[in-house]
Amino acid sequence: MTRHYIKRALLAAAIALPTGYGAAPSLAADTVTISHYFTGEMGRKGIEEIFAKLTAATGIVVKDSPIGHEDFKTGILVRAAGNSLPDVFSYWAGARTKFIADAGNIASIDAEWAASGLDQIVEPGIIKNASMYDGKHYLVPFGYHYAGVFYNTKVLKDAGITANPKTWEEFLALCATLKSKGITPIALGSKDQWPAQFWFDYLLLRTAGPDYRAKLMAGTASYTDPEVKEAMAKWKELTDAGYFTPQANASTWTDAADKVAQGKAAMTLMGTWITGYWNGIGLKPGSDYDFFPFPTVKAGVPDAVVGPVDGLVMSKTAANKEATWKLMSYLITNTDVQVKWAAVQGALSPNTKVDTKTYSPVMKHALDEVSKADAFAFNYDLATTPPMAEVGLAMFARFMDDPSKVDDYLKDVQAKAKDIFAKAQ
Amino acid sequence: MESHVRFWRVVLLAPPLLVFGLFVLWPLADSFRYSVSNWNGFSADAAFVGLDNFRKIFTDPLFANAILNSAIWMAAALVLPVGAGLALALLLDSGVRGAGVFKSIFYLPICLSSVVVGQIWIWIFQPDWGLLNTAISAASGETFGYAWLAKPGTALYAVIVAWSWQQTGLAMVIFLAGLTAIPRDLLEAADVDGVAYHKQIAHIILPMLRPATVVVIALSVINSLKGFDILYIMTGGGPFNSSDTLAMFMYDESFKKYKMGYGSAISVVLFVITLTIIFVYFKELKKMDEIYE
Repeated sequence: MTRHYIKRALLAAAIALPTGYGAAPSLAADTVTISHYFTGEMGRKGIEEIFAKLTAATGIVVKDSPIGHEDFKTGILVRAAGNSLPDVFSYWAGARTKFIADAGNIASIDAEWAASGLDQIVEPGIIKNASMYDGKHYLVPFGYHYAGVFYNTKVLKDAGITANPKTWEEFLALCATLKSKGITPIALGSKDQWPAQFWFDYLLLRTAGPDYRAKLMAGTASYTDPEVKEAMAKWKELTDAGYFTPQANASTWTDAADKVAQGKAAMTLMGTWITGYWNGIGLKPGSDYDFFPFPTVKAGVPDAVVGPVDGLVMSKTAANKEATWKLMSYLITNTDVQVKWAAVQGALSPNTKVDTKTYSPVMKHALDEVSKADAFAFNYDLATTPPMAEVGLAMFARFMDDPSKVDDYLKDVQAKAKDIFAKAQ
Repeated sequence: MESHVRFWRVVLLAPPLLVFGLFVLWPLADSFRYSVSNWNGFSADAAFVGLDNFRKIFTDPLFANAILNSAIWMAAALVLPVGAGLALALLLDSGVRGAGVFKSIFYLPICLSSVVVGQIWIWIFQPDWGLLNTAISAASGETFGYAWLAKPGTALYAVIVAWSWQQTGLAMVIFLAGLTAIPRDLLEAADVDGVAYHKQIAHIILPMLRPATVVVIALSVINSLKGFDILYIMTGGGPFNSSDTLAMFMYDESFKKYKMGYGSAISVVLFVITLTIIFVYFKELKKMDEIYE
């Protein structure tokens, strides 16, 4: 008797449940779902215009779910864990892409890449370093960046500075001059940790060189090596002299950019996306702001530049691979899209067909620096594995809070690195 | 008739039980499964590691730090909003002018989402132009630029202040409701007999507020266990894990350090702790019910 009622009850409950439950949302054949971190100051408006252009040209309907830059790092992995990745998503080339490619979340795009002839369009260095992992194509580059010392031209001019520093000594002299005139030389906003990494990257690259850095990033060198200590000691020269804005960990990179824009600080070491942000608040490239490359620290060390490559990757579970590829290839091959993106986000285009005359003088200068450099290196959190990056970035922020305990921090980081890289092997 | 009732009982209970099973019990069981694996959170391969994750938890200094912070958080959540809520309720119940307006004002923060409250307090604590430092600078005549949320020594306490600010209104309203249940003639009689106000509080009001206090404390404990969002918004457990609670620590290990297995083990420990607290609480509540019956 009871069983009979339970049966009836379950039947009724099944009817009461929303009828659509369990059925996959059916999307039109030419709809592509995408998630990306081009939000707010990272290019939200520009990407929306680009999607509209894509729809007009190809008929592809973009179902867009953007996530803020910081939240994206975890958000996309949560979606991967739940097996609900969008068809295509933006991602940072380097160790992060390798990590999810190894985990089997993204599809190799070798056949599509060849069919679209991207080898003839994309910058060869970027194909090798950013698109390919273990001999296969995974990532379509969308834009890349260069990190340099961006400064407020008026502040430097008013302080009587006429030549950009080329060496570490000249850079220290510049900071001393600015400080003596009551101007904070360097703004840094390391609340989200990653903005501090460029200091470590450049100081290590300029003292120990790209080969040693590659070893450290791969876990075959130690954070307690004299090379790392030397780089940190150079960084400490700056903190000890009081050249950074106080309380770096209380501000974000845009706070630091604001301080430079308002003349409260003179310079900030940041990627070219800062130009997109500054242009957006009405500053003029070249006249209001400019940059100089990170100075040489040790003679004879190869000249390396640092920056990230933003790209698009296809989920292994993409429902409509053809339409998804159409979107991905359109965004890299269409030069209008690339020019637009370079302008609004402050990116350099990986597409060799883009006319560099469309760049602002500052971006043209950035391109020249990248072109003449001996090596292009991904910034720290894209150069080492994501679990290690988390540990290292926390160390940089901790260093900015209290630089005096740097040796303890390095020992601690090395202990964790040993654990992380032992697991990876 | 009886069987008809039983039929509807099952019909009406089935949907919530299904949802509960699907969204609570199943994930819970899954997290137990992950806690004995070394899964990184998204790759296809994961190996069984037995109790390794649990062994590691008890030697991890960050876990000890998170336990301590959770204890501080819970203690503060009990003392500050409950104390302040009681004080406000007594004040507003004493016939002060404009009590109705003040009631609404004090209650307002609880209507805001924790994300909004967190953002408001981020601005208050902002070192360069925040309300707090501006006020201190104005009062002292010297520039004061302490970064409350970016310093390991103060971050947790700054969030506790924001949390208490939001939760006080809830405690206040429940105490106010409790106060209306106290017979006025009892207090008037005490007045006539010349009993001092603080003695009235200690010997009449507080004992008679006991049911309201039980509710307030229960809600405070439960809310403090759920207190993740405001911490996530204001410090994210930082700087350098200094404001990590157990929930924040679990999130960090799972989603930022890609150790879903280890994170799940932490969540199992958190689950056991929560269950213990709730068990003790229900036992006490039952005792209380027996007294009042």
